[in-house]
Formats: sequence, C-alpha cells, structure tokens
Amino acid sequence: MIKRLIGGSKRAFGMHRPGRNLDVYPDDVFLVSYPKSGNTWTRFLVANLVFPEKNVDFSNLNDLTPDPEAMSKRNLAEVPRPRIIKSHQYFDPRYQRVIYIVRDPRDVVLSQYHFDIKRQAIEEKFPLESYVGRFLRGEDDRPYGTWAENVASWLYVRGTHPGFLLIRYELLQSHGMKELAKIARFFGIAADESRLKFALEQSSADRMRELEKKQAHLWSSTRETRQDKPFVRAAKSGGWKSELPQSSIAELEKAWGKLMTDLGYQLSTRSATESSSSSAPQLATVGAAPEGRYSE
Amino acid sequence: MIGHLIAGGKRLFGLHRPRRELVILPDDVFLTSFPKSGNTWTRFLVANLAFPEKNPDFGNLEQLVPDPAATSKRDLDRMPRPRIIKSHECFDPRYPRVIYIVRDPRDVVVSQYHYHRKCKKIDDNFPMAKFVARFIAGETCPHGSWGENVATWLVTRQNDSRFLLLRYEDMLSDTAGALAKIAAFLSIPATGERIARAIERSSVGQMRKLEKTQSEKCELTKDTRQDLSFVRAASAGGWRSDLQDTLVAEIEAAWGPLMRHLGYELDSRPGSDSGSSSPIGLVLNGASR
Repeated sequence: MIKRLIGGSKRAFGMHRPGRNLDVYPDDVFLVSYPKSGNTWTRFLVANLVFPEKNVDFSNLNDLTPDPEAMSKRNLAEVPRPRIIKSHQYFDPRYQRVIYIVRDPRDVVLSQYHFDIKRQAIEEKFPLESYVGRFLRGEDDRPYGTWAENVASWLYVRGTHPGFLLIRYELLQSHGMKELAKIARFFGIAADESRLKFALEQSSADRMRELEKKQAHLWSSTRETRQDKPFVRAAKSGGWKSELPQSSIAELEKAWGKLMTDLGYQLSTRSATESSSSSAPQLATVGAAPEGRYSE
Repeated sequence: MIGHLIAGGKRLFGLHRPRRELVILPDDVFLTSFPKSGNTWTRFLVANLAFPEKNPDFGNLEQLVPDPAATSKRDLDRMPRPRIIKSHECFDPRYPRVIYIVRDPRDVVVSQYHYHRKCKKIDDNFPMAKFVARFIAGETCPHGSWGENVATWLVTRQNDSRFLLLRYEDMLSDTAGALAKIAAFLSIPATGERIARAIERSSVGQMRKLEKTQSEKCELTKDTRQDLSFVRAASAGGWRSDLQDTLVAEIEAAWGPLMRHLGYELDSRPGSDSGSSSPIGLVLNGASR
C-alpha cells in the first residue's frame, strides 16, 4: 500500500521512469538493440556525430540520447525534439524511425555474462554453460524477450521499411566510416569525412575506457555495480570462439541458426543448419532470406 | 495536473485499466488477434466452453475473458486462475501461452471500416480508399498494422507449443474442430456434446440476439451508434463484393507474402512474384507509413 502510494504520487508528478510506456512522438528516432549489443557505443557515436560541440561523455550521454528506463517521464518530455532515444524493446509499432543494432548472439551472451557479474546479478563462479541455457530460454530479469525474439520481431517486420536501418555491430567495428556514414544519412546529416572521423575517435574503446574510469559513478548503467569490473570490456567480436564451450555454441546455433544465417553470421556447427528448423523456438519460418545479405 | 492526480489516485486503489502494464501470471493464456478478426466470437466460444454454468453474454464477458484495456487492475488481480485474457497486442515475450486468431486482411479492413462508423470515428460516406490506405499504414488502431501484428507473432512463436494459430476462416468452416483444438490447448476435457453446446450458444444468431438487449452493458458497444450492429456479417470473403479491385491490389501489394504464407489466395497478380525476391525475404514489403 505504501509502495503504491509512493508509486501513485511519483506518477502524478511525472517522476516515474516510463520504460516501455514512454510517450512516443512521431519524430523520435530510436537506437534499438538487444542488451550488450553495442548500444552504448552507438549512442556515443551518434551523440558525437549529431552534437559534435557537446563533448560527449558518460555524464551527458543520457541527456543527449535519453534512456526511458533511467529517466523520468517529465525529463524525457523536456528533451529537445527530435529526440534520439535509447531502447532495448522488442517490436513496438509506435517507433517510426529505428536504427537497430544487431550483434552475434554468441558474443552477446558472453558480454551479458560478464555484465551480470559486474552488476552482481550472478556470482563470479556461475557456470557459463547454464548461463547460456538461461539466455536461450530468456530466463533472466531482462524484460526484452530472448535475443532471437527481439531481433526477429524487428528484422522480419520492418527490415525493408524506409524508416528502419539495420547496423551490424561487427561491421561497425570493421568498417566504421562506411557504417557511420549510413547512420549520418539516416539522420539527414551531411557529414564529411572529418566529421565522421571525429565521431569515431571520440567514441573509441580506449577513450570510453578512460571516461569510464573517471565517470562510472555519474552514469545510470554503472553507478551501482562492481567498480573492479569495467563496463567497456573487450569491445571486440568473435570472443566466443575461445571463450564459449563447444556445447553452448552448438545449443545457440541449433536454436537460432536460421536467423543467424539470415544476418550473415556463419555457423560453426554444420548440423545446426539442418536441424535448426526442428528446434524449439522456431523463427523466420515466414520469409527466406538470401544468405549473407548483411555480411561484407 | 488534475488529470494526473485522478490517475494517481485511481492507481492507488487499483481502479485503473492496466493495459500493457498488466501483471502477467505464469498460467495466463492470451486470446490474441488484430482487432476485427473474430476475437469477440472466440471469447464467447471459450467462455461457453470453459464456464458453461455462467451463461456467458455481453454482460459478463468482461469478467470471464477480460480485456486489460477495459477491466480494472483490481478485478484482474482478483480473477480465478488460470486466467484467459483478451488482447490485441503485437508480440509480447511475457505472454506465456497464446491463442492467436488471424483473419484475411481484406475482410478485416471492411469489418474495421464498419466498426469505425459504429464508433463514430468516421462518417457513413468516408471513402473506403482512404480507409484502406490508413489501414495499410497501421493508422486505424494502436496495435500496429495488420501485417505487423500478425508477423511479430509468427516470426517469434509459430510452431511453438505455447502458441496456437487459428484462422478465422477455418473456425467458420469447422467450428467444432477449431474449438476442440482450443479445448486441448486449454486442457479442458471437452466432449463433443460440450463443444456443440458452446458453439450453439456462441452462434451469430445468439450473439445478435444478446447484442440487441445488452449493447449498453458491454464495453465494446456502449456509447456507439445503436443503429449499427457490432455483430455484423460474421462471414468470410465479403471483400470480394465490398472492396474495389484497386484496393484489394493495394493490400496484396503490402502483405502478399504473409497472406500467401497463411493460405490466403491472392486475387491480383502484382508484377512478378515481388515477395520471394524482396531483400531479407520479408513478409512485409511495401507497407510504408
């Protein structure tokens, strides 16, 4: 009752965090991804690209690319428009302009594992194999669906929509200039090479690490987490090849092989390609994608 | 501000309608569909199957198979479990089990057109062409476009044991077969006799009769035009006479591959098979907003 009273009065003054119930404006642009898929890096890139004069860091990141899970309804309503909003939401029909960042789920699960240790959701010794099982079944405290549900709900529904831009984390790393140019075009920003370069440099892993050291206490996603573990971790792709148990790789590929292949992620277990159609969470039975459309 | 305070106070006592903020329980089953796809008929069928002793009608439908957009949080919290809940939402990963009803979008748009007249959202002479354009763009209701709503569920849950896909058209042609599937999905031991009775009590004739006397009691029909009925044609294929060829072609151009996947035969032959060659094989090619 007390809790509800507090909740009710917070709401009356717009002090609650709206999350999925954010009031959406038609000119909002959303930076959407499953968690641990390069969203924060993309926020840095986009903020540096759009607001080069603002000196983007962890202290003003939420002001420039607001997060409805970390900010009040009232603050969100005061952000100058058009807003650039961070989101981890599965499909929301109200989002009209979406940049969707996708990352190899084999790397996502590793990143999420380490982040869950940092935020003390699991112990340091928690077995990685059972963590992968939970990840696959969507059994954790994150309300965003499984990786595949989240990705498929956007990709197969808005994939060819002009208001939708798919960015692969891996390509953003290997071909930063080219991918960032796509993002600039999506925002209608005429960005020359020097502006793109500036944004990339200001958002490099090294620079973000430096900033994190000084500002971890200033940012909602790192404030109440273990300070002996960094938020900006490997910032690399392919770590799964050495760090994930073979059985876990097979499990992921068996469940999501079709979707991974559609995205251009090569499967390492041959059998996964054939058996993926018979496994439990069946995806993408509706459309068939030409292989490797998004690979380079 | 006053509005905020009232909303806050309502919330305090659980009198608000939770909508998407519904607290979902692990044994909930959701009766989901895009609007105007046979959801109310299915609610009647399910209610008559699961609670025959309650004499389901428009007066108590909201208690038996509630809609979180029309029922208070308090009532939803107090319902006996397992709950069977009505929904028009796009994919929601929290829904543990889902019965999804899909209907030919060419009939859906005609049905929605007439329902919007009944709700006084459009005039009697509102141009159908304009309505179809808004329908394709997903602007006729807050649940995405028809294609988006259907596709979000199919690409994430089709062939999953927690998901039962039913076509409205199949429900019409073999109601007993469809209801037997629903009964099995809900683990209701239903004899042929029990199923037959549920079908009879949910017939169009019966629903029309109930609507005449109870239209003011029901959330779906109160405050709407009483000269138009909620239970309308209750048939399939009406689009063939009610929709112009050009409008049929527009719908098929937007959602052809998805419609074909669902077994809805296309009437128009859009320039080659645009669907299979579209980039990421997408269900929804041209649906631009």
